[in-house]
Amino acid sequence: MPNISTVHAPKPQAKSIAKRRVSVRARKSAKTAVDPITFSVVLNRFNTIANEMTLTMEKTSWTSIIALARDFSCAIYDAKARQICMMDALPVHTNSMHVVLKEIARVFEGDIHDGDVIVCNDAYSGNTHVGDFVTACPVFHKGKHMFWSMTKGHQLDCGAFIPTSTPAAAKDVWQEGLQLPPIKFYEKGKRRDDVVRMYLANVRWQEWLYGDLMAQLGSIWTGKRRLIELAAHYGNDEVERYIEAIFDYADQRMAQEIRQMPDGDYEGTSWLDTDGQGGTDIPVNARVSIRDDRVHVDFGGSAPQTPGANNSSFGVMQAAAGIPILCTIDPSIPHNDGCLRHITAEAPLGSVCNAQYPASTALATIGPDDTMQDAVYKALAHAVPERVTGGNGRVSCVPFFSGTDTRDGQDRSWGCMFFNGGPAGGASSKEDGWPLLITSAGMGGLKILSVEMSEMLYPMRVDKQEIGADSMGHGEHHGGPGVEIQITPIGGPIECHLFGDGTANPPHGVMGGSVAIGGGSYKENLETGKRTYCSSKGRLMIEENEIWVAHSSGGGGYGDPLQRHPEAVLESIFEGLLTVECAAEVYGVVINKATMTIDWKKTEARRERMAAERDPLEVVVPTTPGASDWVQKRLRDGDEYLIDPQ
Amino acid sequence: MRHIMGVDIGGTFTDFSLIDDQGGITLWKEATTPADPGVAVQRGLEALANAQGLGVDSFVGSLDLFVHGQTIATNTVIQRNGPKTALLCTEGFRDVLYFRDGFKPDRYNVSLPRSKDFIRRDLRLPLTERMDYRGEPLIELDEASVRAAARTLKEQSVESIAVALLWSIMNSSHEVRAKEILAEELPEVPVVLSSDVLPMIREWERTSSTVLSAYILPRISSYMIALEKYLSENGFGQNLLVMQLNGGTATVKQIIERPIYALASGPAAGPAAGLYCAERVGVNNVITIDMGGTSFDVCMVTDGEPALTKDMRVHDNPVGVAAVDVHSIGAGGGSIAWIDKGGALQVGPMSAGAEPGPACYELGGDRPTVTDANVVLGYINPEFFLGGRRDINPDASNRVIEESIAKPLGLSVEQAADGIFQIVNTNMVDAIRVVSVEKGIDPRGYSLVVGGGAGAIHAGALGVELGMKQAIIPRYGGVFCSYGMIASDVRHDLIKAFATNTSEFDLARANEIFAELEAEAIAELRAQGFARSRIKIARFADAKYSNQIHELTIPLPSKGKIKKSDIDNIAEAFHGLHERMFSYCVRESAVDLFHWRITAEGRLPERETPIQKRTRKPASEAQKGTRMVYFRAFKKYRRTKIYDGGKVRHGMTIEGPAVVEQENSTIVVQPKHTLKVNRYDDFVLAIN
Repeated sequence: MPNISTVHAPKPQAKSIAKRRVSVRARKSAKTAVDPITFSVVLNRFNTIANEMTLTMEKTSWTSIIALARDFSCAIYDAKARQICMMDALPVHTNSMHVVLKEIARVFEGDIHDGDVIVCNDAYSGNTHVGDFVTACPVFHKGKHMFWSMTKGHQLDCGAFIPTSTPAAAKDVWQEGLQLPPIKFYEKGKRRDDVVRMYLANVRWQEWLYGDLMAQLGSIWTGKRRLIELAAHYGNDEVERYIEAIFDYADQRMAQEIRQMPDGDYEGTSWLDTDGQGGTDIPVNARVSIRDDRVHVDFGGSAPQTPGANNSSFGVMQAAAGIPILCTIDPSIPHNDGCLRHITAEAPLGSVCNAQYPASTALATIGPDDTMQDAVYKALAHAVPERVTGGNGRVSCVPFFSGTDTRDGQDRSWGCMFFNGGPAGGASSKEDGWPLLITSAGMGGLKILSVEMSEMLYPMRVDKQEIGADSMGHGEHHGGPGVEIQITPIGGPIECHLFGDGTANPPHGVMGGSVAIGGGSYKENLETGKRTYCSSKGRLMIEENEIWVAHSSGGGGYGDPLQRHPEAVLESIFEGLLTVECAAEVYGVVINKATMTIDWKKTEARRERMAAERDPLEVVVPTTPGASDWVQKRLRDGDEYLIDPQ
Repeated sequence: MRHIMGVDIGGTFTDFSLIDDQGGITLWKEATTPADPGVAVQRGLEALANAQGLGVDSFVGSLDLFVHGQTIATNTVIQRNGPKTALLCTEGFRDVLYFRDGFKPDRYNVSLPRSKDFIRRDLRLPLTERMDYRGEPLIELDEASVRAAARTLKEQSVESIAVALLWSIMNSSHEVRAKEILAEELPEVPVVLSSDVLPMIREWERTSSTVLSAYILPRISSYMIALEKYLSENGFGQNLLVMQLNGGTATVKQIIERPIYALASGPAAGPAAGLYCAERVGVNNVITIDMGGTSFDVCMVTDGEPALTKDMRVHDNPVGVAAVDVHSIGAGGGSIAWIDKGGALQVGPMSAGAEPGPACYELGGDRPTVTDANVVLGYINPEFFLGGRRDINPDASNRVIEESIAKPLGLSVEQAADGIFQIVNTNMVDAIRVVSVEKGIDPRGYSLVVGGGAGAIHAGALGVELGMKQAIIPRYGGVFCSYGMIASDVRHDLIKAFATNTSEFDLARANEIFAELEAEAIAELRAQGFARSRIKIARFADAKYSNQIHELTIPLPSKGKIKKSDIDNIAEAFHGLHERMFSYCVRESAVDLFHWRITAEGRLPERETPIQKRTRKPASEAQKGTRMVYFRAFKKYRRTKIYDGGKVRHGMTIEGPAVVEQENSTIVVQPKHTLKVNRYDDFVLAIN
């Protein structure tokens, strides 16, 4: 039986690790002396403060995209815009919020005052994408600017030409909606009502967005209050000294961690399904260079920027390079400036990974982020195979629904991003994947909306929401399962905008694991039975006699399926994740259907034969674009398949 | 002589506390008998009867109250050794338990294991039926699908069944009918309905609560019914009362109807006990803390009401019902101090437990613990640990702290020990902040109440950090929880779902709902023998801004009907709470109300506690010597007075720095703090 580690995977060359004890222990000069006890206390306090900011956002926001999808992050920076602490509800913000904060600080240099609140959503000011709305306030103590308290939250709407804050069909920044370069909403504690009114006048569902704005302000003000308490307790100078120590601490731990990875250049390629304007299979290349205690990611060789919205901003490119690295290191290392400075990234200006003004980057945190991350993960599979995972879904089968709620005699416009049918996460070297991981940008930080809450809040009925059997990539550990979901509109049509990716280019398998199904969605006319399939992006109107159906993809597999213990295969059958047929075909495990027990003899023979007959296993699959045949297999006479319908 | 009795089955010991009508306390411990916990209870009762010179029947007959705390429900769930349980659900939604809320708790751990669900998919069976969001049937219940499911469950020898259908909170008729059919098909198997257990919106939380209920029901009901029978055969004329996770008690009949309330009931008694000690000296805003060997539990009690949470989980499964919000972190005497990869000193959450325990036990523990630090600092007397019942070696503490902490960090041993003391205190302060400051409550107006164990060593230091003025340290830490149980009132929480809004408030329907819920609760409590004047009703509602996803529970006027003039106050109660908790509110927005809640309490008769006479003797009478003790305020050891806690009486005043030693606990009086004993014989620490 071929052993994967001897087939294609290069044996990682472990570097000799200098057993240097990194330490926060006392430095020589009195000025920089650090008391290790105070150090631990201050480090903890920053975490507690950021956590409290996060709770405020989550518990009080008015739209499900923030309250449940938790598409937001809260962070604390020093006056130089260096990240001290972040509670990343959504990791895509982790390695990118300082980029926009630096621009905010630059724009208002010399004009930053206690009581100011500065906002920004402009991707070309260092923000991630137009949907992400930044609120930041400077924190002063004893007249000195000490910190920035900052949140970033994905808004339900940003005034785009179509009702969604993720308009896949946007061709430029003006179609994306209202662009807000750094601008003050509060000046010295006084709200600029005219500016806030101008903002609200340009977005849909103003009342809800006003609620979310208040939640974001509540969060930064909570952070501000606690940071002032901290500065008052220790004094400005002490706090600043300990911030430096906190950076050093993360810096040293990160250096130690990267030194354990084998030096070298590693490559990975991934593909975007479509660009939002009908272009398909757009390549993204990543070259990951590990040198001593640094990692550099170069997205050179990726496709030029596209005419649609499926382009990355500079901020997202930075984040997408960093997250896979952060997922392969000790999760307890604080993600502050000291840690992040070890990771650098570049991409040619004007490429799909780093678009040039005025190209649209409205989907940057979605397809582009996840596809760039996939390319980095694929490269890392050659460097640290035991630490990577099979591919994750890319927000496919997560529509933006909107319409008019006519129930109980109302006539009210509604909209929501609906995550319940989202795709799963990939398997690791130790565990099966999680369901509903939904996106590498979020890594499972998103929550779904209960069926009952969905039906109460919005004019829709959920007819089904169950595990999609056999939807994942297989392996010694299989990916999490996708979801099969069916929605019926109530009392009027639903306008459905899809903005995800990764159905035509499904989550990849690693170390002998297989690729997941990719999946997809369609609407079905209940009278004619006709199905209209849609690529991972595009607009569908779900009329009253129609339903919307999605089968999202499971995650990618890890390792050789023939190495999965037959008992574990049987358990997955009982859990509804695998079918008996798949167990035999893919895992070589023969189940007696009458007794639902393993036929050990037949299993052994079957596994032996399968191992002998198959091709050598690959480190990463697929190696070509458009690997999913999910739609092609299902298309019947009279059905249609639309690519990026508008 | 008449008695009241509290019995608490713990993992190792079953504790009995017996209080006679003169206030005299008798304590008894019996080794827990896990196979049949009732055996230990009967043994204990026999021993106590014997000690009174009575037969079991006349002793049991002398009991006016029997309150029972148990860990059977919790252990069944934690150890997952419950009966084979099945779930019947709405067709198309078999995987509600599996999907949960879609959340993965740790984003950066790619190998995070996922805990198993309580019911595997092959025993989650669909029923053909569907209600809409208003409770109107879209698909009538197909009774054949219930009978088909019943046949499968019979073949699978299922022992307990949960039924949780979508929107049963608005119309429970399909669940009720399914139960009737199951009673015909599987008459021996208990059935729990989600509309009985937790009639709240959100199918995952409701399903989970129902499944947990079904999972613990068979075990708990057979135990409780046997115990009740035993007691009544021996002449006990009252209801056996069972501690619930909401901090109140309930009859066995009530617990069998809603078994989820028997889960996690142990820690829920702590705040009640703390409150009991505080209220008799006129204090009703307290933070109760309990620091044991491995964990630190904290709970806020505001205006005499322990804080409740709806977010309690067991193995990632929501409990759903409101439970006393006991926040627990891994900080105890056995918590291990260590230096992380980056060189930062950390304490916990892992613990050396009882074995190997702290290094000073010399049972093989080679890592420094909080107890070791307290030994090095001189807070714990090596000659008098647990009243002298355990030998400890201070040299071992010194050695491990020096090797593992002091040398690597370049500190002296006492600085390292003080560091451990500071860090564990910080962890505990953060835990207290989570339940207070982060919920918009300023702890400075509260008193600490310190439960048993190591808490009294740390209480003064915690109080300083939080700006608190006083800590109450009950003299009998060991009876803390059984005290709490006896002091707890009988309590029923009822919920009903109905949507309305402050801008179009449906007063008639709201009042109708409260009238129904209150009639039900009052009838139940009257049947248990409570006079109407002993029954207290409080009303609440879950409120949010329209389109907010998460709710806050706000109190409503609890007397008479809700009137039009109350609506503004209800809205303001929500705006105010929202602002305190989250820094902002939107007063111009209307407020949605959805779940209507009542808590109905049957108040037990007040108990007399003996009052201590003031002594004229000076505190020096209680002094038993001096030793060197380290205080951060001095940054060094100082010769410090040591007192025998058993001799410290009402009327004495001890000025810090000082250490007061009792058999089961040690009180550290920090410099400038003052310790007194109140007329109920509890210690009171004044913090400066």
